Amino acid sequence: MFGYPLVNVLGACLIITSMMVVLARAGRTAAWLYSLQSLVLVGVLASLGFVTGSGELFTWSATAFATKVVLVPAILLYALKKIGDDAQADLPPKLNPMKSVALVAVEVFVCFVAVSGIDLPTAAEVKPTLAVSLAHFFIGLTCIVTQRSIFKQIFGYCLMENGSHVSLALLAPEAPELVEIGVATDAIFAVIILAVLVVRMARYAHTLDADDLCELKG
Amino acid sequence: MDYSTLLIIMLGCPLAAALLIAVLPSRSVPQGIYAAIHLVSLAGVAVAGLALVASVFFGADVFALGGWFHLDGLSALFLGLIAVIAPCTGVYSLPYVAHDVADGRLGPSQVKQYYAFFSLFVFSMILAVTSNNIIMMWVSVEATTLSTVFLVGVYRTKLALEAAWKYVIVCTAGVAFGLFGTLLVYANAADVMADAHQAVFWTAILPNASLLDPSLMMIAFVFAAIGFGTKAGLFPMHTWLPDAHSEAPSPVSALLSGVLLKCAILIVLRFYILTAANVGPDFPQMVMMILGVLSVAYAAFEVYRQGDLKRKLAYSSCENVGLIAVCLGLGGPLGIIAALVHCVAHGLTKALMFCLAGNVMMKYHTRDLGRIGGLLKAAPVTGVLFVAGCLALAGFPPFALFVSEMAMILAGVAADCWWAVVLVLAALVVVIMALVRMIAGSCLGRVPEGVSRGDVGVLALVPEAVLLALVVMLGVALPGPLASSIEDATAIVMNCESACEGASLFDDALAALADDPAKPEEVLL
Repeated sequence: MFGYPLVNVLGACLIITSMMVVLARAGRTAAWLYSLQSLVLVGVLASLGFVTGSGELFTWSATAFATKVVLVPAILLYALKKIGDDAQADLPPKLNPMKSVALVAVEVFVCFVAVSGIDLPTAAEVKPTLAVSLAHFFIGLTCIVTQRSIFKQIFGYCLMENGSHVSLALLAPEAPELVEIGVATDAIFAVIILAVLVVRMARYAHTLDADDLCELKG
Repeated sequence: MDYSTLLIIMLGCPLAAALLIAVLPSRSVPQGIYAAIHLVSLAGVAVAGLALVASVFFGADVFALGGWFHLDGLSALFLGLIAVIAPCTGVYSLPYVAHDVADGRLGPSQVKQYYAFFSLFVFSMILAVTSNNIIMMWVSVEATTLSTVFLVGVYRTKLALEAAWKYVIVCTAGVAFGLFGTLLVYANAADVMADAHQAVFWTAILPNASLLDPSLMMIAFVFAAIGFGTKAGLFPMHTWLPDAHSEAPSPVSALLSGVLLKCAILIVLRFYILTAANVGPDFPQMVMMILGVLSVAYAAFEVYRQGDLKRKLAYSSCENVGLIAVCLGLGGPLGIIAALVHCVAHGLTKALMFCLAGNVMMKYHTRDLGRIGGLLKAAPVTGVLFVAGCLALAGFPPFALFVSEMAMILAGVAADCWWAVVLVLAALVVVIMALVRMIAGSCLGRVPEGVSRGDVGVLALVPEAVLLALVVMLGVALPGPLASSIEDATAIVMNCESACEGASLFDDALAALADDPAKPEEVLL
């Protein structure tokens, strides 16, 4: 159960937790579930560190804990508090839960098929997790496209970003520390900027409904 | 002072300015202080940038910070664009922001925000073109998005915030695909290179490119083309572009269209070079041709259809980026030369046009072309520059875009790709119709009631005059150092520096065109 199988089991947990983030009705619940997902991500990074003996991955797991498990959810919960109740941050998604689950299942299947054709020694033992990380791009994209609340769309970006992080760890465990810091810092700034933009949208436009934000067309 | 230090200074100037402006309190600090810091940093960018570009034109190959930054003949062209356009749009920002403040559209905090993020934007673009670390390239492209979001949404209206939201969400999601492509290249290179730590450096990967796994490189290139193509405004990932360009303040639109799109093209080019060195040029050319043709065909009709001045210009950017992709799709020395000249020519021309659009908006207080008329009477200098700018954008001689579009047609003929030549010519005719109609509607006719006569201030005209002079100069005759630097850059793209030693790509390409269409590729590859 230890070694690469553990990495792959945690990879499967990433899919389950990301599904929960996509399906969460309330923004607050989604933030907590995202924190849980990031905890699983920290587990993936740490177990990969044990397996590969890469010291960098332990540092990555520590920074991921600080940024993704604590900081990002805190920023999003703070933004939710600033938004208040007027701006409909908890709007339901455009797709019902069953359709969302079916769509994600198709995406995961396609990613598994795509990754099975990749012949890369670095990722030979962790192909299921690599497929999961690739699937996170599409699950994140699905979240962005299907959510009506632009606040919840932020979680779509966060899921894509978690996918990037896992891919980085799987494909480039020996990458310089500064690279990981660059990617993580970038993600934090992106979430802060998205959150500020959502708060401004609520304050100045009094809506967080993506369907209301279609005046610029053509 | 060595060139590595100069490169660090160039990076440091706008970053320091952004941080300094950010820490100053917006209520108690006069706006003139922000403007002064802004100008000093841009002067630093211009001086350091042009000195670096000149050094590369004369043969230097600049590395800094242990190889994390690199300036070669290719990136020097794009750094040159930043060194020229950023100061021009920066100077133009002064009267534009002052006008918006007088109109009540910008308050003190927004002015501070504008100047801080403008500097940060310039910094992130310099980072993007000089990064040698492929993962840092992605980080810098992402940073260009994050630094411009608040510039696009600076007016805090519902439309501006909508544009900012679409911009950030489409670009961050799109560029995430670019990261995946980047990681595939890195992992692939780390497996074959003796020192895995060197696999993050583009200059270290290139000599080993032929050893990489071809199928992975093709997947990586598709991801990179989609990811960074989103940022470049290629169809169908272009959706953010017309909204962001139209809602941003005009100097920012000028910088977005004139430079940022080209920075993204440079990153695509870096992956194009690696992929071509691995699987040959056919695959990356096919991908670029598909994206380019779709962009040109779609955007040309949108340019004609739009009734909003800045949206028309934004779709024109989409069309021109498509033309650059078509040039890369055609390949060969002529195609690459055409693409690079078009990058420079379009960057300057579009910066000129967006600044002029700003003048029109200052004068008429609208972007609706139906309500803009008699520009030559209402603001004669702006009117003349506007007519010249439209003709330049339409690709008429003696302007720079004529040279690149002509080279593109020749590249199409040399590559025997007649369908692309016909399609591009048809699209260009539609664009010419759109721009001539805009000249007739906006510059001629009667001045609408309520619009006073008299031009905008001198400071709002000088940057456009400089940009127009450069566009004409490049159209009449490419200066020798620039022409040879474009040849160097073309040699880098074709990965044939040693094969082309002593030869002139211009001469070879044109001679081959006269003799045998297949000859340039045979000779150079």
